Amino acid sequence: MALLSEQDQRVVREHLTAIQQPVTLLLFTQTFDAPETARMARQALDELAGLNDLIRVEEVNFVLERERAAKYGIEHIPAIVLLSGEEDTRMRFLGAPAGYEFMSLIEAVILAGTTDSRLTPESRALISAHVTAPTNIQVFVTPT
Amino acid sequence: MARENALVQASCVEATEFMDLSRKFRVTGVPKTIVNGSIEILGALPEEMFVRSVLNLPENDAPPEA
Repeated sequence: MALLSEQDQRVVREHLTAIQQPVTLLLFTQTFDAPETARMARQALDELAGLNDLIRVEEVNFVLERERAAKYGIEHIPAIVLLSGEEDTRMRFLGAPAGYEFMSLIEAVILAGTTDSRLTPESRALISAHVTAPTNIQVFVTPT
Repeated sequence: MARENALVQASCVEATEFMDLSRKFRVTGVPKTIVNGSIEILGALPEEMFVRSVLNLPENDAPPEA
């Protein structure tokens, strides 16, 4: 069963027209004993990719492709890494993107598919002035 | 913020799927944001307040330098 209704698909497709450059969603999972959430994540990503030709999904085997997992700092599955073209956007989703998280994923895909961070001038100025070292932000959410 | 600055990485973590991480950072309500494993931000904040919190800056502009 599709996660997105036909009406949802129309709305999301319209929203995704903002994308100007290819976005790759790297889904880290495993072939054997993959968690159920990995299958859910794959379905969500496939439905999203089906709505815009610039979005594609690539599954990465977490067990067999340790180097790639290490390259992107992936320690848990399912995990989604967003690439803008070939470039790592440093945006990640851990777990199946269901509920509100799916909305956040759509926004992240649009950020990856464009070059504008969409932040206010004030926020940009603060970031430019104060981010001087690697900064790792983890936002914990639940699907409801 | 990750899109704005190459030093920033941003992850959205499904708390119920990763209980080990949730326990480690004592996530009892969502959204909860952890910066560099130490700074804790509870709830959803307006953008600029969130940016200030992530950067560990005071809420209001610092007084102009004398």
